[in-house]
Amino acid sequence: MRTSRGKRIGFSVVAVVIGLVFLFPVYWMVSSSVKPNIDILSTNYDLFPSSFTVQHFIDAVSAPDFLIFLRNSLFVSLSAVLCSLVFGVLMAVPLARFRFKGRRGFLLLLLIAQLTPFEAMLIPMYLMMRDLNLLNELPSLILVYFAATLPFTAWTLRGFVHGIPVDLEESAMVDGCGRWQAFRRVTLPLLGPGLVATAVYGFITAWNEFLYALVFMQDTDKFTLPVWLSTFQSVFGTDWGGTMAASTLFTVPVVVFFLIVQRNLVAGVTAGAVKG
Amino acid sequence: MTAVSTRAVAEHLPPPRGRRSAGPSRRPGRGKMLPYLLMSPALLAIAALLGFPAVLVLITSFQKLDLGELVTGRTVWVGFDNFRTVLSDPGFWTDTVHTIVFTAGCVLATMVVGLLVALLLTKLGKVVRIFLQLALVLAWAMPILAATTVFQWMFDAHYGILNKTLVKLGLTGFTNHSWFNSGFSTLVIIGILIVWQATPFVAFTVYAGLVSIPGEIYEASSLDGASAWQTFRSVSWPGVRPILALTAFLQVLWDFKVFTQVWAIKEGGPDGGSTTLPVLQYLDGIADNHFGTAAAVSVLMIIIIVVITALYIRMLIRSQEVDL
Repeated sequence: MRTSRGKRIGFSVVAVVIGLVFLFPVYWMVSSSVKPNIDILSTNYDLFPSSFTVQHFIDAVSAPDFLIFLRNSLFVSLSAVLCSLVFGVLMAVPLARFRFKGRRGFLLLLLIAQLTPFEAMLIPMYLMMRDLNLLNELPSLILVYFAATLPFTAWTLRGFVHGIPVDLEESAMVDGCGRWQAFRRVTLPLLGPGLVATAVYGFITAWNEFLYALVFMQDTDKFTLPVWLSTFQSVFGTDWGGTMAASTLFTVPVVVFFLIVQRNLVAGVTAGAVKG
Repeated sequence: MTAVSTRAVAEHLPPPRGRRSAGPSRRPGRGKMLPYLLMSPALLAIAALLGFPAVLVLITSFQKLDLGELVTGRTVWVGFDNFRTVLSDPGFWTDTVHTIVFTAGCVLATMVVGLLVALLLTKLGKVVRIFLQLALVLAWAMPILAATTVFQWMFDAHYGILNKTLVKLGLTGFTNHSWFNSGFSTLVIIGILIVWQATPFVAFTVYAGLVSIPGEIYEASSLDGASAWQTFRSVSWPGVRPILALTAFLQVLWDFKVFTQVWAIKEGGPDGGSTTLPVLQYLDGIADNHFGTAAAVSVLMIIIIVVITALYIRMLIRSQEVDL
């Protein structure tokens, strides 16, 4: 569609303004985290920091138990993602590669499971974990996050497996590979980007989760980072600089992972691998 | 339970379409049971961790399960008592109205802003477009709890940048104005937070739909002398309508059960003024130890969600976005 020069400039100006509005909270978090307290708690108007400090970051990292919370968060998120990937691949491959009775039903089941409202399952999950003596234990969170990410992981991986031409595996089998070997040597490596992508989404889900972490974990040394962040203000009074530094630290891994996925999702890895 | 950023990315990722040859193929030979065998671990996990709780919540909603029963392990069936208690409580209806109005407002705002941003993206030069996309991705990627704390800080009564800006603009009445002193204003701010983080997903999804409309159709319509509005009405709108409908459904499903933002900003306060159904369920069950009544609230929520989900899945299958 042709757009006149004047209009195009107008659209660009609007777009820049909207972009700045969307960026502002992110910018404000980072810029507040490097402002000295004297500037934060002042009535002066300052959109740009006039002096810098890393004190808030030092405070946040050296806050009691920060490393424990970080370790807890990493432990539950990574364990849940690992389980989801293993179980998810096992479910995805037959759904994409085999024809068997009930395939459509299983796909529908995955689709429905994916839309399960976990927030509404709080009470039964709590009772279940209580009966299993898992309340206040990190594995309870692993189980919940695993269940929350598994349907999506299996569903998405099925799409990725579907996208890898079955001819590749068949050629490998013609060349003398067994079925398992053909899968391991040909399909699995090509599935790499899909595995990375789904792993990252699962990780972000678990990393972000707040409700279950808040309810299940009672002792401070079992908290994950989101729960810690939500208590930050009551622990430190209204230390906005510290809160913003902690939020920034919490945000960085997610943004980094986001960017990794974008780079890894190069389309057409398999394009041209089979001539035909 | 997926979080705003994640759930959005997750759904945004289209399952790559393979060639037809990549489809299910009949494998000769042994192993008729192989597919079921491979799927069984995942199916067992889904049954135990999704199916069982879904049944348990229903069972619990027909029991009296307070701290006493929980400790002694006694099972006390009470029929529909919990539902009667919940439904006759005016607080429940207030919270239901909060939830519905809040969800409707968030979804409407997200869809309108998302559609406008998507249309804008199609009109931009490369540099500005990438800038806007980057800004959107950052808003999207930000962890919910980090976003929530930043909003609390921006809306802070004494040193928040919003009040400072308003005062600088001459609105001195906003000096030390507390934005969280009424349920309405608290919910509006939570709504802004949710819309801000959900818009990127809608914008990117709709944008992808818009750019997949063949350019020739636009050329033809401009040759026919159609105005920008006419082109939108007769080309863009029919092209993205199915995508809009599907994303709107997802937004309804997600916004209806939001807990994190509502709880982290003001814990449903002041005086329950910003309490929504997920918060009510938490307060009844976990805070007050009335697991039976809380389960009844959950069941009522699930009924609403199931209806919306069923409509969504029907639409999804009809639109052939998924091939089962």
